[in-house]
Amino acid sequence: MSGSRPRPDAAAKLTGSAVYGMDLEAPGMLWAALVPSPIAHGRLRSVDLAPARALAGVVAVGAAEVASLLSGSKGDPERPIFPLETVVFRNQPVAAVAAPTLELARQAARAVRVEVDPLPIVADLEDVFPVWPAANAEGSPFVAAHVRARSGDVEEAFRTAETVVRETYRTSSVHQVAIEPHACLAEVDGDVWRVRSSTQTPFGLREDIASLLGVPEEKVVVEGTWVGGGFGGKNSALLEPYALLLAKASGRPVKLALGYREEFLLGRTTLPSVIRMESAVTKGAIVARRVRLLLDVGTSLPGRDFATGYSIGFLLGPYRTPTFEVEGYAVMTNKPAFGAHRAPFAPQCAFVLESHLDHVAREAGLDPIAFRAAHLWKEGDTTPMGQKVGPFGLATAFEKARSTAARWRAEARPDAGVGVAAGFWSTGTGAGGEARLRLSPSELTVVQGEREIGSGSVLAGVAAVAARATGLPRDRVTVAYEDTAHAPFDSGVFGSRTTAALGRATEEAARALFEDLGKRLESPSPVRLEVRHGEIVAVAGAKESTIRELSTEEERRTGGIVAVGKHYGKSGTIDESKVEAGTFYPYTDFTGAAHVAEVWVDRETGTVRVTRYAAFHDIGTVVDSATAPAQVEGGVVMGLGTALTEEAIWSDEGRLLNAGLLDYRLPTLGSVPPIEVTFVEGFLGAGPFGAKGLGEPPIIPVAAAVALAVRDATGAHVTELPLSSERVARALKLL
Amino acid sequence: MTNRPLSLTVNGKVRPLDGVPESERLLDTIRWRLGLRGTKEGCRSGECGACTVLVDGVSTLSCLTLSHEVDGSSLTTIEGMADDPVGHEVEEAFARAGALQCGYCTPGFVIALVGLLNERGRSASVDELLADLGGNLCRCTGYLSIARAVALLQKEGR
Repeated sequence: MSGSRPRPDAAAKLTGSAVYGMDLEAPGMLWAALVPSPIAHGRLRSVDLAPARALAGVVAVGAAEVASLLSGSKGDPERPIFPLETVVFRNQPVAAVAAPTLELARQAARAVRVEVDPLPIVADLEDVFPVWPAANAEGSPFVAAHVRARSGDVEEAFRTAETVVRETYRTSSVHQVAIEPHACLAEVDGDVWRVRSSTQTPFGLREDIASLLGVPEEKVVVEGTWVGGGFGGKNSALLEPYALLLAKASGRPVKLALGYREEFLLGRTTLPSVIRMESAVTKGAIVARRVRLLLDVGTSLPGRDFATGYSIGFLLGPYRTPTFEVEGYAVMTNKPAFGAHRAPFAPQCAFVLESHLDHVAREAGLDPIAFRAAHLWKEGDTTPMGQKVGPFGLATAFEKARSTAARWRAEARPDAGVGVAAGFWSTGTGAGGEARLRLSPSELTVVQGEREIGSGSVLAGVAAVAARATGLPRDRVTVAYEDTAHAPFDSGVFGSRTTAALGRATEEAARALFEDLGKRLESPSPVRLEVRHGEIVAVAGAKESTIRELSTEEERRTGGIVAVGKHYGKSGTIDESKVEAGTFYPYTDFTGAAHVAEVWVDRETGTVRVTRYAAFHDIGTVVDSATAPAQVEGGVVMGLGTALTEEAIWSDEGRLLNAGLLDYRLPTLGSVPPIEVTFVEGFLGAGPFGAKGLGEPPIIPVAAAVALAVRDATGAHVTELPLSSERVARALKLL
Repeated sequence: MTNRPLSLTVNGKVRPLDGVPESERLLDTIRWRLGLRGTKEGCRSGECGACTVLVDGVSTLSCLTLSHEVDGSSLTTIEGMADDPVGHEVEEAFARAGALQCGYCTPGFVIALVGLLNERGRSASVDELLADLGGNLCRCTGYLSIARAVALLQKEGR
């Protein structure tokens, strides 16, 4: 049983006192609703707001009002808040309305007359590039990004190899589905744009809003609320600009919250891909690989695509591959933009890579698990792009997974299957941040702009770092939230970075605090803090003094002695001579996991049931032993959804056909297997005390482990995600 | 559509309400008319369970219930759990098992479990309780810590 000490947020969340974005209210506030485009691609003829405005108490804004509301600023010309000429995805907001009740706002939104002349809709990336090589890719308006890299004589290696395997994989669109929909409350006070929002990134949101509105960042203030699940879906502006414009137009606070259907329709998330994998093997060793990726990025802007150049590396590594060629296209379609979703696109890459290498080994007559184990990166190896691999426990984790799999296979009923998969990730610890500590006579406060999103990374992780770095007991450390005008800057809660990166800044702040205390004590000896009779005492050598005595009058009035620390992380470097097109990104650190899934497959329906599961993770040093395994359990179960049931289905008209929880199936309580969680320690990261990030890695190997278990059980080699009953049944020739 | 008064006993207190539209959902009455926002709004269509409340002790999806349907009833929300002996035990078990992360589904789980214990008795088996909690969705925890909270509760409650 984890968590003998309850999470610091347990009381607020269990009694209903925690206020989330959805719960926000302000005196005199209006409710907002968005006016959706009726089609996925078209030229806007007119957006007539008059019928909405004819309803009493309704305020409406569209593209025509933006310039005057922004006092002439045009905002970001590449990203107008409302489309000026063309709509590019179905339900794209073309106007927004606000009214004293939500019902009236929705009625007003429906009353707006939107006329759009249809343009050809491209909903499926295979309509753009039905065949590879993409001869029509050069200069194509559908290409948001193109990346290519190579190393060594790939053609020669393929020509002379003993075994060559070529395969094509397809992955589906999956949604974050936080249980709390997006929600915010906006107020405009003179020239200050103020918003409270359920956001993972208060400072990122501030920057995003300032850019979209074309106003200085210091005129935008963001205050985070409790976040009812993020998973990447709440890390940029989605609703805030509309709510702010309506607040400006009405002079009233404006609340904008999505309904659940809209949550599916407007969310930016993982979109489909087609991936071609080719491998050449001689004498049990990979001699060359070729990877070709077509990634649907929806309406992501050209040049702003990060996904392709980052993801493509996860289709090569974590395996030694000296000779390779990779090429990827980010393909624009008439869907909402590609967005982050817990280790964006990495679970799909791991599914493709692990399934492929397993298949390659079988084709070459090799043991599939031993084949992968023999090629896994270890510290000191070089990545295909020429980066030195740092401390990395994946190979160790994989060995442990392998022995668990062998044990389970010996124990399992004959029709069960066991799969082992590796997953590699590099966390967002390069993104910078600052921490402010405030030491009062009786407690230490970590002052924060970030809100806890549920992972525990702020309230448990950063607080644990502060306690460990100062030597104070955990019950003497609290976290206080401030808005972006008052909190120290931090990049946000994303990329598994918070405990690691913000924790490092916190560790630095503790160092500065101790230096300051040493000066105040006038002692060169190391300082330590003790709690005596409820008072915090600083001790250095023979000298000691209470914090009360060491504080100035002003510090006593303002809450304590303040210390600041910064952490702006570094990435490694890659060998740019291998890059032929686009941008490839170095890794900030090397985290990974090896998972084992045991499944039972219904031979009549193709339904897969996961019966037990084990996860072995390298996260460097475990900072908080209660919340860390909880992250793994939650990530694995989310991954089971990606593996088996979750699939957002888009029609040829760019319509999302299953925008609701009855048709988009999440894992439920009854479908979850027991999960064993093990941390492989000793491979230190750049975070505090050698910690690495953890939020994302647990989801990465899941679909791969399940797919390989299905293959082990049935022989079915499924090359598409998710492994729905239908796909498995088809692979078993039942359909 | 007409507006009519109705009366609810909310967490033990009688709360007469004026001018409630016939079409108003109990979820909106609770959150915006009574100001009790511990009851969470998720899907508004009966699929996630975040809005679960007790109506006369029976666990009910407030998003699928019209307020006038339950006129005269006794309503218990998460804010009333502290005064409910079973509710308090359930909260303790969730806290000790670490059975929450973002916390948005948590009030719904707590209320649904209390409703099940009311219905089936304090000695209900862990398995039957878990089977009946299957209608509540959680995206963070992977449910295992919630199952441990239920197991802890039933082990110590007997």
